[in-house]
Amino acid sequence: MHFYKSWSTTFVEAKGEPLETQRIDLPQGTLDLLILRTLSLGRQHGWAISERVQQISSDVLKIQQGSLYPALHRLERRGWIKASWGTSDNNRRAKYYELTRSGHKQLEVETDSWKKLTAAITQILESV
Amino acid sequence: MLNDLRFRLRALFRRNTVETELDDELRFHFEHEVEKYTQSGMTQKEATRQARLSFGGQEQVKEDCRDAQGTSFIADTLQDIRYAVRQLTDNPVFAAVIVLTLALSIGANSAIFSVIDSVLLKSLPYQQPERIARIFLTSADYPKFPLNPFDFRDFRTRSKSFDSLAAFTRGDRQLSGNSGDPEHLNGFRVTSGYFRVLGLHPQLGREFDEKAEIPGNELQVILSDRLWRTQFGAATDILGRKITLNSQPYTVVGVMPPGTRHPGNEYHSVSYGDDVDLWSPFTFEGNPAQRGSHYIEGIGRLKDGVTPEQAQSEMSSLMVQIAREHGNTSTNWNVLVNPLYVEVVGSSRRILLVLLGAVGMVLLIACANAANLLLARAAARQREIAVRLALGASRSRLIRQLLTESLLIALLSGGLGLAMAVGGVKALVSLLPANFPRVHEIHVSTPVFLFTFLISALTGILFGLVPAIQASRIDPKQGLHEGGRSATGSGRSSRLRNVLVVSEVSLACVLLVGAGLMLRSLLNLLHLDPGFQHQHVLTANVSLPSANYKKSADVARFYGRLDSDLRSIPGVESAGIGSDLPWTGYDENSSFYIEGKQPAPHEEFHGRYHVATPDYFRALGIPLVRGRFFTSSDNNDAHNVIIINQALATLYWPKEDAVGKRMTFDDKPTEKEWYTVVGVVGDVKDKPNSPSAEPAFWWAALQQLFPFKDMSLVVRANSSPELLGDAVRQVVRRIDPSLAVADVQLMDQIADASVATPRFAFVLVGLFAALAILLAAIGTYGVIAYSVSQRTPEFGLRMALGAQRTDVLRLVVRQAAKVVFTGTAIGVILALIMGRVLTSLIYDVSPADPLTFTAVGLGVFTIAVFACYIPAQKATKTDPMIALRAE
Repeated sequence: MHFYKSWSTTFVEAKGEPLETQRIDLPQGTLDLLILRTLSLGRQHGWAISERVQQISSDVLKIQQGSLYPALHRLERRGWIKASWGTSDNNRRAKYYELTRSGHKQLEVETDSWKKLTAAITQILESV
Repeated sequence: MLNDLRFRLRALFRRNTVETELDDELRFHFEHEVEKYTQSGMTQKEATRQARLSFGGQEQVKEDCRDAQGTSFIADTLQDIRYAVRQLTDNPVFAAVIVLTLALSIGANSAIFSVIDSVLLKSLPYQQPERIARIFLTSADYPKFPLNPFDFRDFRTRSKSFDSLAAFTRGDRQLSGNSGDPEHLNGFRVTSGYFRVLGLHPQLGREFDEKAEIPGNELQVILSDRLWRTQFGAATDILGRKITLNSQPYTVVGVMPPGTRHPGNEYHSVSYGDDVDLWSPFTFEGNPAQRGSHYIEGIGRLKDGVTPEQAQSEMSSLMVQIAREHGNTSTNWNVLVNPLYVEVVGSSRRILLVLLGAVGMVLLIACANAANLLLARAAARQREIAVRLALGASRSRLIRQLLTESLLIALLSGGLGLAMAVGGVKALVSLLPANFPRVHEIHVSTPVFLFTFLISALTGILFGLVPAIQASRIDPKQGLHEGGRSATGSGRSSRLRNVLVVSEVSLACVLLVGAGLMLRSLLNLLHLDPGFQHQHVLTANVSLPSANYKKSADVARFYGRLDSDLRSIPGVESAGIGSDLPWTGYDENSSFYIEGKQPAPHEEFHGRYHVATPDYFRALGIPLVRGRFFTSSDNNDAHNVIIINQALATLYWPKEDAVGKRMTFDDKPTEKEWYTVVGVVGDVKDKPNSPSAEPAFWWAALQQLFPFKDMSLVVRANSSPELLGDAVRQVVRRIDPSLAVADVQLMDQIADASVATPRFAFVLVGLFAALAILLAAIGTYGVIAYSVSQRTPEFGLRMALGAQRTDVLRLVVRQAAKVVFTGTAIGVILALIMGRVLTSLIYDVSPADPLTFTAVGLGVFTIAVFACYIPAQKATKTDPMIALRAE
């Protein structure tokens, strides 16, 4: 059973919006999906993940960096990603995450359901 | 799943490593971020600021990570426990009061539950004990009557309700010819299949078969494990050996295993579980057409799926059928088939449940007390709680922390209580009457541990939850404010405290009423005139083996010799021999004819028969009402005489003098067979609380109609009867060294045992009630003391404005009296409603006894108001200046 205790601390900011009140809560599990997708490209440490998400999303989405780590630990507990310590490009000790086999499966499942959801909502928004 | 667990465990037990790793990881991120900004041209300071902003609150992130690791619940709990321990050690008096009172109450509950568990809940030590039932005859006059052997045999062949049926009757034996003195042994004569009914199997040999029931085959015996070990050195070649019982050679055919419990019996009763050392075959002697004699008890194993009710109706119709076959068309006997469990523990059920209820009330009071103390302390901690709320602690988190505290207190008390229960159970067992069912099986077992843990946890939640919710309701702003300036106490919490005191006082009232009723009942029992004087009397039993005392003359000679030898023991005031002793369950009855009177149709004159030597009545202190006692010249050469009790005299000679009237036991008596009533003696009831005495008569020992081989010796001493035991034994041994002297005990002990159960009930309920009123007094004191301390400024103001000390005193006492009065009133009403459950446990007291209720009502009110007096006094000492300056 999934139980995201503190998902509501996960915020995204739409870039260019001046006020905090413009923040939208990410739907439950969205951050997890982004992390899994990012890691599917290869082993990464936390900072790189947060940079990567921003790059890929062309800086449209900006993750509150702090919220990344609880999500990583949660995913690790679930067994979808695993962590190991390694050395970064500039020779510093960093914690690297990579997808596990069940993480890959989970990514497929979540991608699939995300697509279905957005398609369904788009359809509703366009038809009404 | 496994990964999840491994992850959590690592996070929990490698806390330091995990924390360091988290620090490292976050620092790595942070440094990278700073680097990114400096590379884009920012100054170091600007870059650091920017990185902080985009990262968010460092501590918050860490906390969220810990949450994500799934260890926060346990980690928080550990932290809460540490905090709770600190709270308790910081307030040792508070902690001691609350833990001790709770421990006492929980311990009392565990102790009573131990008894209930061992007596009522554990199944009896037989195979499928729920299928075993006891079988009696029953009528309006005799609820449980033994069976006739031939009736039983017919039941056994005809009944279809039972897998197996057996009968048994007391058959004590004297073991002699072994090393040591002759020993009197509790024994039973049993039909074949007796042990099969119980589902027990001999550890050596076999049980009796049907052949053993044929007259002439009775010289066989099955030994108990105890007897086999103590007297025969656990010899494995015991089977087939001949041993001397009642001066006759019995062949050993079996040895029962240890833990073979006697199922208990009614007639010449041996209580459930008491030692029975040997079993010999029951033989069907006499004429099967004669069915007047009833002395065996039935026991059976019901067929699977047959209820006792079904068996009972089958057996009752069989009874009608059997009676008709023997020319008796109007039998008023029915058959009673009662589950063994009900037979064994049925009578103790109510008293145990009442005790459980009483002790449960004590626990409720202790809970209310603890809740009260916590409420008062929560008020003192108001500011602390307000600060935590203001700093962002969530309400549920706060409640959880306060509950952890109360659970810790409760579990601590539970542990202490369990230790008390272990000691308490020992005390309980020693207080219990020796014949209380399963008394030797009572001990603290696993279910008791579970029960204690459960009630401790429940207790913790019960007394902790409300104060915790209450405490967390504080509005931080208000709380900080109120903490600074003392007001008159917030209304809601003081109302709650009052409710708690009211419930404490009312429950204490109920318990005190219960204890009061039981005390009155016990006093009534103790003050009953038993009809004899049990002080300074020593008793013993002797049985004559038939083998050596074949003729009536032999028996009569023994009586005569023993009687005069007993009287000549130095220090003996008077001594006698009789068939039995009062209050020991003797119940032998016979019908008879009265000269010149006809019984009502279908009825006969009947009474309980006994024998007595001349001084038997004098030794027991049974008064002579009319006529004379027996004398030594009432012997075989003289005219037959008889003594009757007052109950028999008023029953059959209601308006006449019974002395001089004649009765007989033969339908065509010769002149010699008439017995003349020479004396009327006072009534002795069966039990101290029996409604009336059974009509009874005594034959003179030297004129016995048939020989009484079982006899009771009664010796009244000038001073110390307990010193006469050895002399009595020597007297018997001088006459016949093969005889065992059994059950040497003081009549005081027999009399004492008869009130053991009511005394046990009173002592326990009394103890619980004392604890209850103490707790209620503490509770009342606490609430009033707290309210006085809260209102000190108000009192100071009043006194500054001219109120006298007495005015303040009156103010406080009135407030207290109102609460206490409500509690007492509710308690009295509750006690009136609940008193009905006591009806069967109390003697000669109405459950609504006005004296008890008035005394308890006034007593509780006085004690509780007195408990308020100390804080009230303190209130009057308020110095207006100091009180107002403190504002």
